[in-house]
Amino acid sequence: MAARIKIEDLSFSYSPDKEVLKRLWLEVNPGEKMGLIGPMGAGKSTLLLHLNGLLSGSGKVFIGDTGVTKRTLPEIRRKVGLVFQNPDDQLFNPTVEEEIAFGPLNFGLSPDDVAAKCDYAIEAMRLRGLEKSPTHHLSMGERKRVALATVLALDPEVIAFDEPFANLDPSMMTQLLDIINGLTATLLIVSQSMLPLISCCDRVAIINQGTIVAVGPVKEILRDEELMRNNGLDLGFYKKIFRDFFKENSI
Amino acid sequence: MKHHYIDRYSDLDSPLHRLDPRVKILLAFFGILIMVSEPPGRLPPFAFYGGMLLVLLVASRLPPVFLLKRFLILSPFILMASVFYPVSLYLTKETQAIAFQREALEVALSIFLKAALSLLLLIWMISVERFHVLLMGLRKLKMPKLVGTISILMYSYLFVFWDEALKTTRARESRTPGKLTRAKLKTYSNQMAMILLHSWERSKTLHHAMLARGFHGEFYSLQKQGLKKRDVVFLVVFLLIFLNVRLFSGSLLNVAISLYHFTISLFTITIPQFDLTTPLLTL
Repeated sequence: MAARIKIEDLSFSYSPDKEVLKRLWLEVNPGEKMGLIGPMGAGKSTLLLHLNGLLSGSGKVFIGDTGVTKRTLPEIRRKVGLVFQNPDDQLFNPTVEEEIAFGPLNFGLSPDDVAAKCDYAIEAMRLRGLEKSPTHHLSMGERKRVALATVLALDPEVIAFDEPFANLDPSMMTQLLDIINGLTATLLIVSQSMLPLISCCDRVAIINQGTIVAVGPVKEILRDEELMRNNGLDLGFYKKIFRDFFKENSI
Repeated sequence: MKHHYIDRYSDLDSPLHRLDPRVKILLAFFGILIMVSEPPGRLPPFAFYGGMLLVLLVASRLPPVFLLKRFLILSPFILMASVFYPVSLYLTKETQAIAFQREALEVALSIFLKAALSLLLLIWMISVERFHVLLMGLRKLKMPKLVGTISILMYSYLFVFWDEALKTTRARESRTPGKLTRAKLKTYSNQMAMILLHSWERSKTLHHAMLARGFHGEFYSLQKQGLKKRDVVFLVVFLLIFLNVRLFSGSLLNVAISLYHFTISLFTITIPQFDLTTPLLTL
């Protein structure tokens, strides 16, 4: 199951003098994989926290047909999974197994259902054999997979990723991309690393100073040099490195 | 990061590890209550309490070095407690006869033994069960939800705090070689402030992560909890022995019968098929 994300006229500020999100509108289709890029401090992570009601500003956020309100929070939190940027901010249980079971147990699932959900998440995230391991003994890549498994165990309709590709070596990045490409839920992926987005996202949105400034197919947006440059996302640096690298190789 | 978990031996496999967490809590609670209710200066029963505790610790397969280290860390507090009460007694009494000095010494010794054995019993309790499972046991014993939540969050916060302390210490040491000097005190105070701020921020994010997965103030466990016959038998027998020593001074015959019952109960929790009724009925 995948749900539509609909954000209407969302504004939010941490302090009265600085608005982080300004009248933001965004719609992500059910089952779509959308990237969200923007310069530092643009409001990307703040936007993600609105999806399951951890923050609430003025405006409306809908997951499927359900509006995010105080009353609907239990339902919303069951539907929306958040994968935090730093897995250490997400993992707090003694073992991998207990970490993954935390969500299903909190939502009151029966012991058999909890076991089945955990089994599914462990299998999907290739964590078999690590069930009893303490989470702080795992590598960064494994901790990231556990963080994603904790969310998958809830079988959410929407998954929001905050910088999933940060601090990963190339092989772990490939593994994570495989996993992301296999997910059927609606995905919103915040990432400063734009290249992986090309291989996993259908569309990408640019957010700058709390507002969505452009939405479109990934390649189309990333190829628009002026748009990217105007929003502090100049890819010219990578272009130059790749050009020089391949030129040297051909020599 | 290296963490020193208070429950790091909770994953060992021993008959006592397999007991229900509620039994461990009740055993520690009433055991301590019985020991501290001994009149001041009455020393012989402590040999028996100590012996029982030794049996518990050995049967739990806890490493002696670990127990000794834990005990030594906390022993200064016990020593302080046992020294100050008799000293204050000594100073307030008009007479300072030798007989009184002996009485004060006995009181000090009994306070020391009460505190030391109570501490060992607590160390045993938290070593044979995971901390959060113990808290769930407390919840089943009707401890208020809020107290349980605060306790488990405080326990988790210690690790966040420790992580941040290690990180900032590495950062400081990489730029401030040498020993602590008065000039560096400002650096240390800044570091303390940063540790508090960082751990507060990280705790907030962790709390967000918990809320995002449906946390509503209650903690659950994958471990199935349920009192079994062997749990109840073990608890009752253990407490009866303690009570017997406390109320009847542990006469030789009573102690012998108690030890017999205790051994039987240990057999019962080790071998579930062991028939308890026949040997108990004979006495």
